[in-house]
Amino acid sequence: MRTKIALSFWIGIAAALMAGTASAHHSRAMFDSSKQVTLVGTVKEFQWTNPHCWIQVLVPDPANPEAAPVEWGVEMGAPVELMRKGWKPESLNPGDKITVVINPLRDGQHGGLVVSVTGPDGKVLGRPAPVTR
Amino acid sequence: MIANLTGRIVAHRAASAIVVALLAGCLCPAHAQTSSKKRVEAFAKLPDWSGIWELDAFVGQSDGQQFSAEGQRKLKAYAEAGRPSFTPEYQAKYEQIKKSVEAAVAADPAHPPVTHQPLCQAPPFPATSSPGMFEWLVAPEETTFISTVGAVRHIYTDGRSHPPKDELWPTLMGDSIGRWEGGTLVVDTVATKQRLYMGELSGFFVPMSDQLHFVERIRMVNHNQMQIDTTTEDPVALTKPIHVTITYARVTDFNRMIEETDCEQNERDPVVNGRFTTVTH
Repeated sequence: MRTKIALSFWIGIAAALMAGTASAHHSRAMFDSSKQVTLVGTVKEFQWTNPHCWIQVLVPDPANPEAAPVEWGVEMGAPVELMRKGWKPESLNPGDKITVVINPLRDGQHGGLVVSVTGPDGKVLGRPAPVTR
Repeated sequence: MIANLTGRIVAHRAASAIVVALLAGCLCPAHAQTSSKKRVEAFAKLPDWSGIWELDAFVGQSDGQQFSAEGQRKLKAYAEAGRPSFTPEYQAKYEQIKKSVEAAVAADPAHPPVTHQPLCQAPPFPATSSPGMFEWLVAPEETTFISTVGAVRHIYTDGRSHPPKDELWPTLMGDSIGRWEGGTLVVDTVATKQRLYMGELSGFFVPMSDQLHFVERIRMVNHNQMQIDTTTEDPVALTKPIHVTITYARVTDFNRMIEETDCEQNERDPVVNGRFTTVTH
């Protein structure tokens, strides 16, 4: 991830690194890129919006299936970025069973930055993460 | 009803007369033909920069927004080439700002301080061509740069000079004039925001002097690559100019520009007390 590259550099490249994506909307330092959390749940809402897309996922506790599921909000790139990687506005719909891998928020809230999404058919949506980092 | 019909016929005839008059005007005057021919010739001398472009380090970026290994290698190389060498006065400023940012980050690492640029604002020059995709519109009088993250640059190539000093003030894009050397556009830019971006920590700016000045040489390397060689000069703040050559790749998996920074649409990373926060639901 971009946040692992700590160098002093010229503004143009710095902006690209800070953005981490095609959008320089905000810092990604609130996400812990050294950790990955896997969420297995149901799509409550897929927000295909600028500046970033979001998936609201309802995640039940496997140890306590009777309890109300916990809602997580996971952040993605801008719609145009996702579209280039194979996503469409209706790639996910409410009720879809998905598995999401995220870099979690550092502050402990139920949120994070999406690393990969596996759809209801068991296939990874979009372009998967590179094997080599 | 008859009156309405008559009115429509009259209006139709009037419109037809205007069209005929316009066509005659376009086709007949000798001066219009000459001007048009010269303009076509002027366009024919310009290179073809059509298409959509992006920083080459973005190629192969994953859905999880991680750079490919090759992309990371390129970014590191660009960063090394762009490392500034400050004069003692500006080195002291850099260290002081870095120290204060370090303290702010350490105080709350989960909510980084907003120290780099206002959210959802177009990236300032010379960061204009790094985030997002961009395209060029090349005309004899001006080359225009337009990006998907809101940056627009006007590079005037009609032979004009920069405005006099008393008509300039620092702006995000500055004032750019250019000239063609074959297929290379040489661009001189002044009056940008007087600051240099450092990518350390959560990123921060170091102030520069009013002599901050950029010279770019922009050219196509081949059908799928462009290069921008940028020299950053500031004899007050830098001991030597910074030279960086960055390569841009033709976007081949997408064919249209879509704006991507409408923060009012769904802002879920608001700034609170000068720090980034996240709204999870």
